[in-house]
Amino acid sequence: MSAVLRAESLHLRVATGEGPLTLLNNISLQLARGESLAITGASGSGKSTLLGLLAGLDVPSEGRIWLGGEEITAMDEEQRAALRARCVGFVFQTFQLLPGLTARENVMLPSELRGERSAARRAGEFLARVGLEHRLHHYPRQLSGGEQQRVALARAFCSIAGSSDSENDGILFADEPTGSLDAGNGEKIIDLLFQLNAESATTLVLVTHEQRLAERCQSHLRMAAGEVEIAGSAPGDNLSEVSA
Amino acid sequence: MLPLKLLFRDWRGGELALIATALVLAVSCVTAIAHFTDRLTRAMHIQSQTFLAAERVLRSSEPADPAWLEGARERGLQRAQTVSFASMLSAGDQFQFAAIKAVSGSYPLVGQLEMRPAENARSRVADSGPPPGQVWLEPRLLPLLNLEMGDNLQVGDAELTVTGLLDHEPDRSDNLFSMGARVMMNLEDLAATNTVQPGSRVRYRYLFAGDDAALEDYFQWLQPQLTEHQRVIDLQEGQPRVAAALGRAESFLYLAGSLAVLLASVAVGLAARRYSLRHTSYVAVMKSLGAGRGKVLRIYLGQLAGLVLLATVAGLLIGSLVQAQAVSLMADFFPVEPPPSHWRPLLVGLVTGIACALGFALPPLARLARTDPMQTLRRDWSNPDRREWLGLVLGPASMLLLIWWLSGDIAITLALFAGMALLVGGAALVNQLLVRGHLSTLGGSWRIALGSLQRRAAFNTLLIAAFGTGLLAMLALVFARTTLVEEWRMQLPDNAPNHFLFNIAPHDVDELETMLAENNITSTELYPMVRGRLVAINGVPAKEYNKERGGDRVGALNRELNLSWTENLAPDNRILEGQWWDETDEGVSVEVELAARLNLALGDQLRFSIGGLEVEAPVTSLRSLDWNSMRPNFFMIFAPGTLRDFPATYITSFHLPAEKKLFVNELVRQYPSVSLIELDKIIERIRDTIGQVSLAIESVMALMLVAGVLVLIAGVRASIAERLQEAAIIRTLGGRRRLLLNSLLVEFGLLGTAAGLLAAAGAELTLAVLSQRVFELPFAWHPLLWLLGPLAGALLVGTAGTLACRSSVSQPPLKVLRELA
Repeated sequence: MSAVLRAESLHLRVATGEGPLTLLNNISLQLARGESLAITGASGSGKSTLLGLLAGLDVPSEGRIWLGGEEITAMDEEQRAALRARCVGFVFQTFQLLPGLTARENVMLPSELRGERSAARRAGEFLARVGLEHRLHHYPRQLSGGEQQRVALARAFCSIAGSSDSENDGILFADEPTGSLDAGNGEKIIDLLFQLNAESATTLVLVTHEQRLAERCQSHLRMAAGEVEIAGSAPGDNLSEVSA
Repeated sequence: MLPLKLLFRDWRGGELALIATALVLAVSCVTAIAHFTDRLTRAMHIQSQTFLAAERVLRSSEPADPAWLEGARERGLQRAQTVSFASMLSAGDQFQFAAIKAVSGSYPLVGQLEMRPAENARSRVADSGPPPGQVWLEPRLLPLLNLEMGDNLQVGDAELTVTGLLDHEPDRSDNLFSMGARVMMNLEDLAATNTVQPGSRVRYRYLFAGDDAALEDYFQWLQPQLTEHQRVIDLQEGQPRVAAALGRAESFLYLAGSLAVLLASVAVGLAARRYSLRHTSYVAVMKSLGAGRGKVLRIYLGQLAGLVLLATVAGLLIGSLVQAQAVSLMADFFPVEPPPSHWRPLLVGLVTGIACALGFALPPLARLARTDPMQTLRRDWSNPDRREWLGLVLGPASMLLLIWWLSGDIAITLALFAGMALLVGGAALVNQLLVRGHLSTLGGSWRIALGSLQRRAAFNTLLIAAFGTGLLAMLALVFARTTLVEEWRMQLPDNAPNHFLFNIAPHDVDELETMLAENNITSTELYPMVRGRLVAINGVPAKEYNKERGGDRVGALNRELNLSWTENLAPDNRILEGQWWDETDEGVSVEVELAARLNLALGDQLRFSIGGLEVEAPVTSLRSLDWNSMRPNFFMIFAPGTLRDFPATYITSFHLPAEKKLFVNELVRQYPSVSLIELDKIIERIRDTIGQVSLAIESVMALMLVAGVLVLIAGVRASIAERLQEAAIIRTLGGRRRLLLNSLLVEFGLLGTAAGLLAAAGAELTLAVLSQRVFELPFAWHPLLWLLGPLAGALLVGTAGTLACRSSVSQPPLKVLRELA
């Protein structure tokens, strides 16, 4: 299987008042289409920073990243944004729904940014898939936390589904998707996330603190102080290559 | 389309309400002021033209060339003519010297004549002067000549019937020194009177009105053909006092308009900053969903354009409606109906909307495009103000250009910016002092308040500057208005002299003074006066001397001057160079502007020809004087000894209350050789005009105060979310309502006091520049300003801030926190 996401020797250093600080040190990984990877680690270990680099939100100080076969480290910001618009979806811990937009309008946003005409119809379909067809015109403040995260899931999958490739090169990045939810709602969201992921055959990279959630992924990367502490496959699944 | 869709969604969600409100208010406020100023100024100009009875006048001591009048007819100008002269009237065995004015049928072109057909009838407006064969008199002439309505009056060789009493003629002030009471007759009867002979002292006035361009063209054509006997009079020359009042009022109104723009801009800037901060998370999310910087910029620029369009249209409509309503409410106060508005105020509103948006809303929105998408992962929504220079440069630069364009006056523009610069620099300094305060020794409310100030140190500089701008505008306007109106009132106090007496024989002086005193009438000093011509300067013929030094043609060299002498310097005179004399000195004191036109300096020897005799005196001082003081004033005043041997008459002025008007008849009867000039009606008219100008200024000021309050609200709202959150947390931790309320009051009160103090300094500086450069008034400190500034700041900002944040105290903290999440 060809790699949808590949990173080679990533380093990220930032300048501080007390000299340079290394946030990420020599990280490499590779993920095939349709696979899932959990990144875990303590707070401050660099997992969200790594997620941002892999998604093209930031650029490493050293190293290269390929996403959907294209090297994003050779792109400028505009090109990376265009690539994200084509094949990247995001789910955030705090949902990040725009409060001035209704549930449907939030889901429409990625399609609208791509200039698609069928944005409203597609958004309705995705909201139906997450069970919120009756909440189309509600604002985030009128939804519960669980419902808001479901809208965020619909938005993320709507974003990836815009990929014009016949084979889905879409990658979903999720940053602690259950971090703001109670256990019950968190469980439901995870079920939904994996169900949609399977249905859409998307690749999934998620950052989490929860062991149970990490165990549902095919691969696992545990980080400590900006470095990969343990890399391996989740038990019982087809393994993808994860190397540190 | 996406920007408009998002604009609509943001609007519906309430996100854009504040910035839109600020823009709408900015545009409507400025549009209303511009409309109002435009209409008022034009109404005031129309009214002021009534002082001339025309838009422009050609004054001549001889009849004008018929070709000149033909030139006016060809250009489609309206024309009228008056001929003024003094002549003896007779009725039976009664004689009276009077100021006669013969008017053509089209007189007056501007303004109205008011007359009564009978003594006890009500005054009514007459479209034109008396018809041929008839004459209208000033009411006091009836008892002087023992006349009744319908009687005949002899004017020279013509006998005319008295058919009206003249209550008001618009251009009465044109010929102040016409002697005696007014008689108005028809120009067609003039020839029959045989009073105007070659050599008679007659003043011909040719009145013109019409299209501005045609008038301009005509006078450009006419001007080179005029001789020294002819002059073109416009408002500036005909009524310098009214022209000066109008000029200052216009400057003031433009200042108010400029301040409105400044205030509105600050409000827009604050609102845009808040909007930008709130949208940082939006943009970070949009970027993670694949929107590039260019796309984000296009979206927000598109939104801004849509917003500006909507807000500007709304602002233009609201502004136009407000001014129409204001003008209609005040209709009774205006002497003439303000003409409909021009298109310019709409352009002013439009440009204001665009400039406010570009200068103040664009930089924070443009900054949004640089939002780092990693913020979605870091959950950090601060909006680091990198490249802040764009806002720092673009905002003030756009305001500078806009205010310059609006006011057309670089002095106003620079004065405002000097005040503003002082304010911003001071805000940073004061803020540093507040930040360095020691908290450990303070009580609960003060500790929380100062802690809050320290946490928001950078933003507080902006807030103090914004509050300060609002207060500066309000203070500068209130004090400029007070200075102007007081200055006008001081120039024409209620007891300003309104009658001049001259040609008083020396032997009548004592008796006349006694008569005035017995009637409780206070006069100015009686000045002796002789008439003489300046013939030589330093031994060189005066005209030659002046020409050699490149001097302009000076009228004072072509006519006799009124020369006087006195021991004491009049109160409205001031020595600028040289010394006033003591009793033994000889010499002449010259009015400073005439001295400049004649190239005179201290020590120059002046030779005068007085009744065929010559007298020489050195220039010993140069004086400034106030021609508007309604006191006798002279270009040349001699030391008491110099002119003692020349025959003199005396001149004085006095204030006569309206109820004592008939005293004039008694005076004229008792001293028939004395000449009397009555200025009471003119002064009344000037007072009316100045009163209306003051009203206009006060109305505009009220609009400005609204704009000032808008800034205060925008400033408070700009920081409200953070304050609400902190207050809710303190309450959750057990903080009491009173403690929080007090801390809010202290925090906003301190901000307001600091802003008020700086505003007072800025306003003082602005007023100083304005007084000297624009209003041409002497500089004066305003101690009250320094008290009112901090007080008003503490009160207004303290109250507004506490009221705006009171929900953090009155609502359950959980609700506040949830709403802010």
